[in-house]
Amino acid sequence: MNSTTPVLELRNVTKFYGDFKAVDDVSFTLPRGAIYGFLGPNGAGKTTSIRMILEIIKPSSGTITVLGESSALVVRDRIGYLPEEKGLYKKMKAWSIIAYFASLKGMSRPTARRRAFELLERYGLKDFALKPTDALSKGMAQKVQVLAAIAHDPELVILDEPFSGLDPVNQQVMEEIIRDMASRGRTVLFSTHVMQHAERLCDHILLMAKGRKIFDGTIADAKRTIPRRVQIETDDDIAPVRELPEVAAVTRIESTAVRNGCPRWELQIHEQAEPQAVLRACFERGVRLRSFNQSDPTLHDVFVHLVGSEAREASHR
Amino acid sequence: MRYVLLVAWREYSENAKTKGFWIGMLLFPTILFIAIQVPVFLEKRGTPTRHFVVVDQSGQFEKTVDAAVERHHQRRVLQELDDYARKHAETTAPKAGQAGDTLARFADTDAALDEFIRRGGKEFYLRELQPRLKPGAPSFNEPRRSFERVPLPPDIRTNADLATIAQELRPYLRGEKKIFAEGREIGLFAAVLIPADVEQRIVRPGASRAAASRTWRGIEFWSINLTDESLRGEIQRAIDDEVRRREYVARGLDLALIQQVAATRVPFESLNPRKEEGKERVSGADVLRQWAPTAFVYLLWVAIFSIVQMLLNNVIEEKSNRIIEVLLSSVTPGELMMGKLVGIAAIGLTMVGSWVLALIGILAWKSSGHSEVATQLYTVVRTSNLVPAFVIYFSLGYVMYAALILALGSVCNTLKEAQSYMGVITMIMMVPMLTMMFIPKDPNGTVATVLSWIPIYTPFIMMNRAAADPPLFDLIGTMVLLLVCAVSALWMAGKIFRIGVLRTGQPPKLVEMLRWVKGS
Repeated sequence: MNSTTPVLELRNVTKFYGDFKAVDDVSFTLPRGAIYGFLGPNGAGKTTSIRMILEIIKPSSGTITVLGESSALVVRDRIGYLPEEKGLYKKMKAWSIIAYFASLKGMSRPTARRRAFELLERYGLKDFALKPTDALSKGMAQKVQVLAAIAHDPELVILDEPFSGLDPVNQQVMEEIIRDMASRGRTVLFSTHVMQHAERLCDHILLMAKGRKIFDGTIADAKRTIPRRVQIETDDDIAPVRELPEVAAVTRIESTAVRNGCPRWELQIHEQAEPQAVLRACFERGVRLRSFNQSDPTLHDVFVHLVGSEAREASHR
Repeated sequence: MRYVLLVAWREYSENAKTKGFWIGMLLFPTILFIAIQVPVFLEKRGTPTRHFVVVDQSGQFEKTVDAAVERHHQRRVLQELDDYARKHAETTAPKAGQAGDTLARFADTDAALDEFIRRGGKEFYLRELQPRLKPGAPSFNEPRRSFERVPLPPDIRTNADLATIAQELRPYLRGEKKIFAEGREIGLFAAVLIPADVEQRIVRPGASRAAASRTWRGIEFWSINLTDESLRGEIQRAIDDEVRRREYVARGLDLALIQQVAATRVPFESLNPRKEEGKERVSGADVLRQWAPTAFVYLLWVAIFSIVQMLLNNVIEEKSNRIIEVLLSSVTPGELMMGKLVGIAAIGLTMVGSWVLALIGILAWKSSGHSEVATQLYTVVRTSNLVPAFVIYFSLGYVMYAALILALGSVCNTLKEAQSYMGVITMIMMVPMLTMMFIPKDPNGTVATVLSWIPIYTPFIMMNRAAADPPLFDLIGTMVLLLVCAVSALWMAGKIFRIGVLRTGQPPKLVEMLRWVKGS
């Protein structure tokens, strides 16, 4: 397999559970060395897709190619997986679990053992290596699980909701782990509800809703899918602004904290237009601005925009 | 295969660390040891010396009672001496006429006891034994007396009315008062009250009815202990013997002749036509051999049941903790299932192996002179096919039940959910426990044969029949059937396991599971 072959390729993959279509004709490819965010509201089909990629379940139709093979089982030693619902053997020691999963991935027992202690030390769990996992806090247990998933240094790591249940400090550690992997040329696919993580980490995102792929591309591309917004404050008449060719729509922001009784407006700007041009136009037309605020949309905005109202509940969890 | 072994190794090493495993391992040898040791221990020290008083207003039986108690003690001394000789004396061919050997051989007969007492008892025996005693042998400890007569408390007058005496003795018998004797306070176990007119109360068959009906109450034995009847029996037997002896004399019969006649007997032997010609005599070991399988059935049941329970806990743990998903990204469901099966089987075999070793070890140790039961059991275990049969039926039975449990575990989400199904399995599994005592009495009967051919019962029932040489057809036929069923159960379990382990929510209906077996 050369370096241009995609690490993962799904082609027209569909999965039925009885009559329910959990995944609907999804296709995408994962380039080597990327950090790929797998986003979508609950029930979007993310976990089902991941399970199909790992061949834990079989797709109803379509093909999946993992690391150049048509079956993940053939290359299972080169894949790491952290499932959404996390659990560990309660009575097993932390190091021993990591070593066990690593050995299931083809590592020799002594190497796996050494590697387990090494990882625990690197990610601040050295003192807990010999503790049974039911003595660990939830966050620690989750870190142990992540370490167990990556102990064999897989080429492809699939993490299902790796950030859920972690405190901010441990979320930081988690991001660090993901970046470490990527910096060594590993490919990481992770699903999340927290857009900030995706925004900070991902090169690419894949957005799913109701079993269908909605967006697949870079974050910059994603942000371009929604109109840019500018917020202005002015006491003057807003009508000249409405007529500007750059401006697609103007809405008044009903804020409880209106400063000085000065109305605020949000302008949606056409895709090609420059916010600077709006500022210049306002100046030229004598609209006196108290403030001009230009901000890029966040991934959160993109998410809400693309997934629509049905996902609002999920994204605000 | 590598994955199967990895999973198996984890199952083994993790389960070997659990308390349950070690309790299981050690419990059986402990029980066995106690079962052999406790009777020996109890006989030596268990029951305390029973102190009793005798009020004999007739003046006729006091001596009889004393003699009986003494004789009882001497019998025990003789038995202990024989044990002592077996343990500590050289077992060179005995010279004819040597007391130790003669007495040892007849230790249980009255003649031997008479001889022992006549020749001087313990001192004589030990003198005779001395030359053959191994160097470094400990000195002989005379056993404690089981029964000892103590004088009446001084505040009780022996010539008072028997009812009054009984009344006055009550607090002593109830333990509220102690008797002072042998320089210390002693609890009174029993009181024997013999009325002055005991002669009139003797029941003589053939005598007038009126006399008989009047004598419902003769000698009174007072005690709060209703279970230990040894003292009562000893005294009653001695007095009855004495009464009869007097009757013989009174009726002018020759006492020696009577005793001779009473000792007349004809040897009565049990023979087993299955045994080699010339060796058909049934020994104690033969009887044990018939019953030993029952013990093995019990062990088999406990072993299979406890380790399939372990298997169930394991599957459920992985399922409820969702570890299963990570596992399934590394191994196939088939490999996971086989790994568990093998790992827990190894646990089971370790446990069973340790039992067998403990059994042989304890029996070998105990049979070197200490315990007759142990010696005979040891012979049975060594010379029969019970141990190999046990291992074979354990393995096959395990696979069969394990398949059932793996399928069950894979469709349940919590242990609680599984327990209710487990209840049904337990009920089904109870059958061999219920028939366990019955089968050896009719080992090749209809019930035994029919149950043998039901695969889930085959291991237990065939184990139960193992000593009775069941027909070869049954033996091989049931084993083949069991093997086939175990393998197909495993195959079906594999199908259910594959789908079941990833399922959450309500356990599936039976129909649905059958569809899994048939389809996909």
